[in-house]
Amino acid sequence: MPKSLFVDPAEVREAGKVVFKDIPVNQYNKTIKEELKSGKYKREDLIRIFRDMTVLREFETMLNLIKTQGSYNGIDHTYPGPAHLSTGQEAACVGQAYLLDENDFAFGSHRSHSEILAKALSTIEKMSDEQLMEVMENFLDGKCLRATEKLGECKDKKELAIRFILYGTLSEIFARETGFHMGMGGSMHAFFLPFGIYPNNAIVGGSGTISTGAALFKKINDKKGIVVCNVGDAAMARGPVWEALNFAAMDQYKTLWESHNDGMPILYNIFNNSYGMGDQTRGETMGQDRMSRIASGVSPTQFHAETVDGYNPLAVIDAMERKLELLRNGQGPVMLETVTYRYSGHSVSDQNAYRTKEEIDTWKEVDPLVTYPAKLVEAGVMTEDEVNAILKETSDRMTMICKAAADPEFSPYCDFNKDPAVVERLMYSNEKVEKFDDREPEYLVPKEEAEGYKKIKSKVRNSVDENGKPVSKMKMYNLRDALSEVIYDRFYEDPTMIAYGEDCRDWGGAFAVYRGMMDALPHSRIFNSPLAEGAIVGTAVGYALSGGRALVELMYADFIGCAGDEIFNQMSKWQAMSAGILKMPVVLRVSVGSKYGAQHSQDWTALCAHIPGLKVCFPATPWEAKGLMETALKGTDPVVFFESQRIYDIGEQFHEGGVPEERYEIEIGDVNKVRDGKDVTIITIGAALYRAVDAAKQLSEKYGMEADIINLHSLVPLDYTKIVESVRKTGKVVLVSDACARGSFLNDVSKNITELCFDDLDAPPVVVGARNWITPPFEFDEYFFPQASWIIDAINDKIVPLNGHVSENGCTEAEALRRAKQGV
Amino acid sequence: MANAVIMPKAGITVESCIIGNWEKKVGDEVKVGDILFTYETDKASFECESTAEGTLLEIFFDEGDEVPCLVNVCAVGNKGEDCSALRPSVDGAEEAPAPVEKAEPEAVAAAPAEAPAVQSTAAEGKKSPVSPRAKKLAERAGVDASLATPTGPNGRIIERDVRAIMENPPVAAEASAPVAAAAPAEEEYTDVKFSGIRKAISKSMHTSLSTMAQLTHNTSFDATTILEYRKALKAMGGDYAGITLGDIVLYAVSRTLKNHPDLNAHMLDDTSIRLFKHVNLGVAVDTPRGLMVPTIFRADEMSLLEISKAVKELAAQCREGNISPDKLSGGTFTVSNLGSLGVESFSPVINPPQTGILGVCKTIDRVRKAADGSIEIYPAMCLSLTYDHRAVDGSPASRFQKELGENLENFTVLLAK
Repeated sequence: MPKSLFVDPAEVREAGKVVFKDIPVNQYNKTIKEELKSGKYKREDLIRIFRDMTVLREFETMLNLIKTQGSYNGIDHTYPGPAHLSTGQEAACVGQAYLLDENDFAFGSHRSHSEILAKALSTIEKMSDEQLMEVMENFLDGKCLRATEKLGECKDKKELAIRFILYGTLSEIFARETGFHMGMGGSMHAFFLPFGIYPNNAIVGGSGTISTGAALFKKINDKKGIVVCNVGDAAMARGPVWEALNFAAMDQYKTLWESHNDGMPILYNIFNNSYGMGDQTRGETMGQDRMSRIASGVSPTQFHAETVDGYNPLAVIDAMERKLELLRNGQGPVMLETVTYRYSGHSVSDQNAYRTKEEIDTWKEVDPLVTYPAKLVEAGVMTEDEVNAILKETSDRMTMICKAAADPEFSPYCDFNKDPAVVERLMYSNEKVEKFDDREPEYLVPKEEAEGYKKIKSKVRNSVDENGKPVSKMKMYNLRDALSEVIYDRFYEDPTMIAYGEDCRDWGGAFAVYRGMMDALPHSRIFNSPLAEGAIVGTAVGYALSGGRALVELMYADFIGCAGDEIFNQMSKWQAMSAGILKMPVVLRVSVGSKYGAQHSQDWTALCAHIPGLKVCFPATPWEAKGLMETALKGTDPVVFFESQRIYDIGEQFHEGGVPEERYEIEIGDVNKVRDGKDVTIITIGAALYRAVDAAKQLSEKYGMEADIINLHSLVPLDYTKIVESVRKTGKVVLVSDACARGSFLNDVSKNITELCFDDLDAPPVVVGARNWITPPFEFDEYFFPQASWIIDAINDKIVPLNGHVSENGCTEAEALRRAKQGV
Repeated sequence: MANAVIMPKAGITVESCIIGNWEKKVGDEVKVGDILFTYETDKASFECESTAEGTLLEIFFDEGDEVPCLVNVCAVGNKGEDCSALRPSVDGAEEAPAPVEKAEPEAVAAAPAEAPAVQSTAAEGKKSPVSPRAKKLAERAGVDASLATPTGPNGRIIERDVRAIMENPPVAAEASAPVAAAAPAEEEYTDVKFSGIRKAISKSMHTSLSTMAQLTHNTSFDATTILEYRKALKAMGGDYAGITLGDIVLYAVSRTLKNHPDLNAHMLDDTSIRLFKHVNLGVAVDTPRGLMVPTIFRADEMSLLEISKAVKELAAQCREGNISPDKLSGGTFTVSNLGSLGVESFSPVINPPQTGILGVCKTIDRVRKAADGSIEIYPAMCLSLTYDHRAVDGSPASRFQKELGENLENFTVLLAK
């Protein structure tokens, strides 16, 4: 919606046609001799390509034998975890990795052992011995290196590094403490950042948005290298992957961005082995014919896509060379369809019911592990004996590594008995980082001169003036201003911090929290995202785990569903799955709506609070909003930051002296006691606080009952100390929020209060939530969302009968049973 | 790991037992099967063997404490081990001292400006639920929460209700409040804690006299026949020699009751009565621990000799204290014999919920006018029947007594029946 872009009817209505360029398919046709002659490869390069393929093949052969027969070369081991193998795809992986170094980030697909190992072997070749030793020494305090060194004498540092990467990967798969992530990630999440090997993903296509976020990080922060997003053919059916392609193709990088306006430095590589699990993507479950066609639907550049023969490593290297050149010239994104085939099943339980033996055998006839060395022998590059020597060396090495990784003495498991908190410690990083880079933050106007910032600073920071009179809405510093103020502050401190989401820039966000920032900050700091929640959150995850700070927004909390995987599986889990190696400084703003009916008014705090690894907060006062946003935007953990559209305009009513000018932090996990009383405790989340305040006033005036009100601005983590203190005092507790009562987070709080304070309770804790219906139109709000009268009725009916009070919204036990039985 | 030794359940009907003596003390080494302590049910005494091996770590109850069955009594484990987790949380001991001082809680809950309008909805006799907070407050303040008027939802006694009785104690509460007597300078007496049996007797007798309409009739009958019959049995020797006059009365009672079902019965409440098809005779036995009343089940189907043997067996078990608690209940009518102690007449107290008890007294010589007008001396035995006037009127009770006397006077005829 930028005004600078004129939507000209004459142009958009003009007759014409959309033109596509031809997409090259398997065009590479050079022989070994021709390549040698051209000087592109030295003899040892060609041999090393073969060596790398054997390492990959042997690794998966070993895993397959361990999985299916419990034994490999005399080593007995039982491995209960997943083994999604890609035997047969080695040439494609080695070809892709051949030109990449540690500055290039490669994100893995669903079956990525070979992708990981190929990238590692290529990087090891390019790094000096000193660099290699430094990396290995510094990784997990050298724990993994020490284990590798114990394996025995080594001819050189590169061999040591090869053993290191094989051992670290395999012990990770075998869930050992000596694995790259203490075994917490396993087969589906093995990676090694110092070699530019970034996470693979158990969620098919999970790398789509995450790698795009990593590319955004490189682009905005001028980091060396490019990003490779590896996905399988089946992943191209997934929405978030399409969202990612579109995110990478946005016109604005070229049309609007003041700087960093190169194309996204990302290669989308589709390893097309023709199958998802058992579904055949070409001919059955998809319809693109050639996967390379996909990008033509996303961008006029068609991502410079081509299809390349992944059964010839030199063909893949040839294509990669051209794609890398485009990327380094700022002409990304690019796309490759790398044709390949897997001999192994989807997993070891796969009976190959969906394909013939004949088909597999036909592919095995062109197996690169056979055809490529044959060509090298034919071209005189190496002899049969040399081929066999490499095979033996690979097998011996793998046997040694497998023996060590399978041995619980050599490679111990984390001891959950001795150290029950081993995973607990990995859940959050709990760090504070002022800035993730030392460079000067980019801006258009200095903060003090930014009109929006100046306006906030000029406001009265309280809801009443010094005479106790209400401050006019226009002059009052409200909850929106509190958020905005902190975001301004942090933008000018952390140069890596970026903010985006739908309509964040020109509109200032649907609820104006970013109002005015477009005049102060360039597009590379705050921009409008496509209307694609999966991409918004997924790219933020990639941006953050690459080393930057992302503040993203989903507009309505209801859209959490559209970014379900990205929030619940990716943002939440990577810190612990990486054993703390990755950090996740993402703040995800979501707003609880009102007036917009069933799909725009839901409080979904319970969904987020349920997922381990997320921090969840929901400020309801300007003082809370400022302090929590400050904490969230300095932290290193993922925070889902709930806001309520009912109270963006509200001023500070509780904190003495209003909202301080100076910076301050509120610990996520603390609670805010906003009213003192001795007779009943009212616990609130979100905008329901103000109805509780109203109820407390009525309780005091009509029934002589004084309420303690505690607002839970934090849901996860949550310190119960003050809650218990209050309930011990009053013995009576009502819990109120706008979330539907069934499964509301307050039920969890209620359960904990019951356990912690049972003997102090004069009645069971009562949760007052919204009805278990769709949200009806705004006109019927009072029938659906908790009202002050509901709180009083709940006290009268279930806790302590109030003299002369007649409940109108009461719910008898019989009625509660009926509703539960009906599911309403 | 420390193990708990629990209070055994000595019979289906036994809910709690009283610790007698501790045979081991904390710190002693114990083996499985070692006697840890003795315990008493209402009417019998047992020994509790250790079910664990190790050091006796902690004793949770003292001698004389009443402990619910299956509750942890002590902990056995490795020396120095923490066994706090085994410490029972139930308020098992009746004798747990109530605090004399009222502990004033830190916070005072809301008392609405006016007295609550809500009236008690709890039905008479039905116990009102008490909120955990109200219960805790009552315990700390030493008041009986059950005396509070419930004003909470669903007839629940809540905090404010307990506060109300703390401020205005009900009369009953005063009576039940513990009174700590000032100890005199010199001890001129010994306070003895009732044994389980004594306590049971105390409770049962008080309940009996305070809840029933009891009255006693005294009659006598000519005991010549049974005395002669007894002499004949004695001469026979063997088991027959052991048949006593008491046994003969029991036999007669077991037969006579069949015609007087209202006396072979249990009062269920003030409005109904349960009539039994068989006669389960309770027999009062004097033991060193106190009165015990074992039951001869289906006495109406037993021969005189069988009754005689049963009485001897039960009495021996009672005296030894090893009778099963299940044999100490289930009686439908009771016979108490004080004749051997020279009692000429008394008012036996009914064993609730039975409706009658027969007291058997001393045989004395009386004179009467013979058919020829002369005065003759005959042996008369007195019978004192106490009955519950709620269940039985004076005339039917008298008719039972009359028939019983006739049966005893013509005992050989009764035997033939």
